[in-house]
This record gives sequence, structure tokens and C-alpha cells, in this order.
Amino acid sequence: MAEIIDNFIPVAIFIVFGLVIPLAIMFIVKQISPRSKNPIKFTTYESGSVPTGSANMMFNVEYYAYAILFVLFDVELLFLYPWVTVYVNDSVTTPGFTTGFSILAMVLFMIVVLLGLVYEWKKGVLEWVR
Amino acid sequence: MAIIEIYDLIMHYLVIIFATNDFAPWIRGVLGGLVIGAVFGGALVMVYLERKFLGDMQSRIGPNRVGGRFGVLQLIADAIKLFTKEDIIPAKADKWLFIGAPIVALTSGFLMVAVIPFDLLVIKGNEYAVAVSRMDISILYLEAVSGLAIFATFMAGWGSSSKYAVLAAFRNVAKMIGYEIPLGITVISVAVMAHSLDIVEIVEAQSSIWFIIAQPLGFVVFFIALLADVGRIPFDQTEAEEELVAGWATEYSGMRWGLAFFAEYLHAVVGSFIVTLIFLGGWNGLPIVGNLYIPGIFWVIAKTIMVMMLFIWIRAALPRYRIDQVIDIGWKVLIPLALLNLVWSTIIGLLWA
Repeated sequence: MAEIIDNFIPVAIFIVFGLVIPLAIMFIVKQISPRSKNPIKFTTYESGSVPTGSANMMFNVEYYAYAILFVLFDVELLFLYPWVTVYVNDSVTTPGFTTGFSILAMVLFMIVVLLGLVYEWKKGVLEWVR
Repeated sequence: MAIIEIYDLIMHYLVIIFATNDFAPWIRGVLGGLVIGAVFGGALVMVYLERKFLGDMQSRIGPNRVGGRFGVLQLIADAIKLFTKEDIIPAKADKWLFIGAPIVALTSGFLMVAVIPFDLLVIKGNEYAVAVSRMDISILYLEAVSGLAIFATFMAGWGSSSKYAVLAAFRNVAKMIGYEIPLGITVISVAVMAHSLDIVEIVEAQSSIWFIIAQPLGFVVFFIALLADVGRIPFDQTEAEEELVAGWATEYSGMRWGLAFFAEYLHAVVGSFIVTLIFLGGWNGLPIVGNLYIPGIFWVIAKTIMVMMLFIWIRAALPRYRIDQVIDIGWKVLIPLALLNLVWSTIIGLLWA
């Protein structure tokens, strides 16, 4: 356990680097760059004309179909990650398993996931413009 | 052979710093800043190479004024320009998101650097990986922290309250959620063949045969998905100049834009390292050198530069896809191919076990 934490201490220090370096650079920029107070400069760019309306627009509800599919596949990926280290010798590494059980389980799981993908495909969810 | 002795001496001290447990992990982390600096330098080299080679490929000269005929100091001139430019935050922008986006993007790049191994040394029978941190789940960790970059582009796009930027942010999320999946599946296929999630062990598993030969389909899928992930040209709809001005970075100016731009190149360089390590054999050299001893770190860097060149070549050669074509390629082509490759690599992985 202590070894695992040791491996992540450099990561924590790198997070500090990631916060400090951009802030330090922006501090230097603030000291040496010019500043002007012309309010026109602080308008949003819209091809030169005065911006109209709000930019925080809504998006199509069909967009969510992709997001749901993504969640489905991402969970599948998360199941695959621990599986890759044990699938060869599962009867040795995992007590109670018979040889090949984890491969059989993964094949069944993948078939279910694939059926979901094929169903969504046939339903036309994967079309960008509907 | 004096050079090799000097290299061994340097590596010996690097090993003492990075790999022995006598040194506190704090010190390793702080000295890891040097590695960040080196990869930063690598990103600068990539920017320079890109400008020079794109110039050659498009029958122009490229940078040729600052620092002699080859314009080697052009980037320093650019840095001075960026530092002295005015920093503008638009009045309508969400200030915290706007400031936070480049920081998140850079932090994500730095965190990816933390687990990249450059060599594996055997000293007195013990193996030492030349890396800031060696984890047993490093490839999963890389996937996780590279995902942070999506938040950065969405924060930038939404926070700047510009229509171009918001459109680019939506496009980016739609693209990323399609391409993270083939990327993840091909990474798993590699791990399936190596029976491990540790990058060092994945490279060691390639000592007899590189994974680009063992699973060429996986390499193709991974490379295309990586291009989309780092937003290189056939897949850079999020900053398509002709349609969206500058995409999610439209409202950024001066050094704040520089940071966001730099984070992108950092991701591209780290992506090249990942391709090198998991498909091109990492520090396993080609047999053509015979008995000549070439340190592993040179192989890693040489292969990484080759991959960068491939990125630049593709940028010069291919036009940009439309956004609906991109989504189609991701969901309808790459995911089935990646799953096919997973089946193939599982069979091979069982045979090799």
C-alpha cells in the first residue's frame, strides 16, 4: 500500500506544477504586457459586427443518444481493464474459477454489448443528422 | 566507446534519482520537473519541425529569418511576442472557466508525462525503469488523465461565450466520446497480448516481436483514434479555420492562447511517445545494428520523432473531414474494427501464454 502511495506522490507534485507554471507565466505577462481600457476590446468576436443574442445555446436532445452509448461502452472498457491481467491463468490467480471461465464470461458480456450496438445502429441512432 | 561510458554514468545517476527507494518520492517528483522540461523542449522541436516541413511540403521556405538560414530562433521570437502581448478576457466571458481551461489542459499533459518510461536498465540484476513514476496500472492512468483534456476544451468553449467557441466545444465533445472507445479498446488489445497494464512490461513483451507486426489492424485503429484525440488535421473540426475562426480558442489572445496551443502540442508529443511505447517496441532496437550497443533512450526518442513526422506528413497530405463524417468513422468503422482486433489479440495472447 505504501508503495502505491509512493508512486502517486510525484503525480501530486506534477499537479502542483500544472497549477503553478501557468499562473507564474501569466503573472510575468501581467507585469510586462501593455493594458488599455477601451471597452470595444472586451466585446466577443463575431466577424466584426456587434454580437447578438446569447452564445450559451441549447443543443439537440438527440445528442444524448451518443452520450448514453458512450457510457455503455466506457463501462464495458472498465470491465476489460482488470480482465486483461487475469484471463490467462484465472484458475490460478482467482480461487474458485475453473480454467477459461473468465474468457467465457467476457464473450457472453461482449455479445450483450454488441447486440446493444447493433440495435442502436439499426434504429438509426448513429446518424448525425436525423 | 567513451560516449557509451559517459551515457552509462549519467544513467547510473538518473537511476539513483528516479528508481531507488532511498530517495523520497518527493524528491523524485520535484526532479521530475526536469522531465517536464525535456518534453516541453520536445514540443518546441515539434512546432519548429512542423513549420519547417510544412513549408517544404507546400513549396515554401518556412521560417528563415531569425537565427540564421534555418530560422532556428523563430520560436524564441514568437515567445517574446506572446509574452509582451496584451491579455484580454472578454467582458461576457465566464472568468473562472476562461482562466481555468489552459491550466487544466496543461496539467493533463504534465500528468501524462509522469508515467512515460524512457528506458529500462538492468544494474546488478535489478531492473530500473527510467521514469518519474512506475505504476502497475500506468496505461489505464494515461487513458484517465488524457480524458481531462476534453474538459479543458469544453471549459474554454463554454466559458468564452462566443458562438464559434461554443460550437467547437460541442463538436469536440461529440468527437471525443466517439473516439475514446476505439482508443481504449486498442489499448486493451495491447495489454491483452502483454498480459499487463504496466507500460514497462508492455514494452518488454515486445522484445521478440513488435505489436505493430503482431496486430497491424490495432495499430491503424489506434493511430487514427489518436489523431482524433489530439485534434490533428484530418480530425481538427474543433478549430477549423474556415468554419469556426479558431474554434474553442477564438477568444483567447496573447500568452493565454499560447498556453492552450502549447498544451495541444504537449498532447501530440506524449501521444507520439505512447505510439512508440505500445506499438513500435519502445527501447527494443532494430536488429540491423548488429552487436553495436545503442542505449534504449535513443531508440525511444528516434521512434518518437518518426511518429511526429508522420503526424506532420498527414497534416500536409490530407484534407479535413466534415463533422458528421468524423462521427460516422468513429462509431461505424473504428469501433467494429477495434472489437475485431480485440478478438484477434485475445486468441494470440492465449497462444503465447
